[in-house]
Amino acid sequence: MNRHSLFSTIVASVLLLLTPLGNAIEVDGNSKELVVKEESTIPSAIEYLQLMQKSYQIENYEILYLSSLQKQLEPMQLIHGIVDGEEASYFRYLNGVIRESLQYAGKISYFEQGRPAYTIESGQNRSVFANIANFDYVKGKQSYDYVILGKGRIAGKQSIAIRMISKDDYRYSYVVWCDLQSALPLRLDTINKSNVVVEQIMVMSLNVSESSNPWLAKLTTNALPETVHIPESTTDNSSQWKTTWLPTGFSVIKDDQHRLVMHENEPVSYILLDDGIVNVSIYISEKKLTLEEPQKLIRRGATVLYTEHRGEVEINVVGDIPVATAQRLAESIKLVTDDH
Amino acid sequence: MTEINEQLSSLIDNENVESKSLDALIHDKEQQDVFSRYHLIGDVMRNETALNIDISELVMAEIAQQPSLATVTPITATVVSEKSDNNVVSFMKRFGQYAIAASVAGVVVMTSFITSQPTLENNGIEVLNTVPFGGGVSPVSLQANKGQSKQALQDRHERLEALLKDHQLQLQVQP
Repeated sequence: MNRHSLFSTIVASVLLLLTPLGNAIEVDGNSKELVVKEESTIPSAIEYLQLMQKSYQIENYEILYLSSLQKQLEPMQLIHGIVDGEEASYFRYLNGVIRESLQYAGKISYFEQGRPAYTIESGQNRSVFANIANFDYVKGKQSYDYVILGKGRIAGKQSIAIRMISKDDYRYSYVVWCDLQSALPLRLDTINKSNVVVEQIMVMSLNVSESSNPWLAKLTTNALPETVHIPESTTDNSSQWKTTWLPTGFSVIKDDQHRLVMHENEPVSYILLDDGIVNVSIYISEKKLTLEEPQKLIRRGATVLYTEHRGEVEINVVGDIPVATAQRLAESIKLVTDDH
Repeated sequence: MTEINEQLSSLIDNENVESKSLDALIHDKEQQDVFSRYHLIGDVMRNETALNIDISELVMAEIAQQPSLATVTPITATVVSEKSDNNVVSFMKRFGQYAIAASVAGVVVMTSFITSQPTLENNGIEVLNTVPFGGGVSPVSLQANKGQSKQALQDRHERLEALLKDHQLQLQVQP
């Protein structure tokens, strides 16, 4: 451990000395340490981001972090490791009611105090930093510019800040802070067009290890709670509604009719949009309640829920997008066919 | 537990922890058990306890044990007998299964709306910010919805919450 730390310190010092002179940092596959390549140039912003992506998936680490939005702080913990060649991640809230989840081998299990535990089949990683860690940064160039802001210190680690600047006003911009040693993400600021931080995730403690946490391996070998099957969509799968406008980079990845299992099994037409970083859900349903105001908007951090009434139809747009985008998406919804 | 916590926190604070003590912490099964006793996940997976902490029956049993006071009319018996085959309960449990998917994913519980001033940022649209449970919202904020009954407002909150949770669920089960 001591030798390891010493080595890290030397590498870090060497990096600090050499990086401004035009050298590159790369993650060495075997030692998982940063090595200096004499002949290369300084990594560009996108290269740092890609290093971060790789580390996020292959490293064994444990982070304690705070999620901060609207003056509310929520401390959380994530333990990530590779168990039998597959990613395993354990997540929990540190305050209040016990809420935990375990994701491994295409399944995610949820545990909450006072509720039956259950499992959902899911290949999606939705845990902290997963959005930026799974983003296709090359493809993302059409929507964002990547700029190195500078170096700083987060969670006691030397880190580099990279800004992802949106090219238009239809999405948020981000500042990603990566650990210079492990390349893991340490901080993520979600920023609106007025440069106000609407949401922030800040790591307070990062612990990277050679092997995965034995407790994590133990969890993955135990029996999971019962798998819950989500009700199927209707036989006529496609929604009868379509968007006539999409912001750059967004595409429709799901389009169906299903029922809201959590609310009186109410039938809705549903469209799911994706731009690699955020997802937007659009719900088209029967108008249930007359609102005083013609439009309603709910916002929590970066997440917005925008409601529009059009005759007897209600359109709801949910996602981590600016209000103007949600509004324009709702307006763009048009009926395609009418079978009823 | 306190000692282990101290060790863990020193582990986090200081990377120069002796590898021996680290190994001891990792391999000591007893310490691990103590640690994981505080984790529901461990309990569930070892099938030690049911995660569904339904203490109502225990409470009822406890009450039944108590010497009855002459001034108190016993009503517990009927309540207990009806509980087991009540369809509403099982429905609520089922309902809860989906509800928590979102709660773990970090979705909001909306209790109150506050109206903010229209600004340039939100294009002049009235903004209703949600405040989760425990947030300090003054009752005055309800005036923002004057003209609507509390029931109607409650219905809307529930529906919006369902939409947010369905959004999370759709993301998680996406192929």
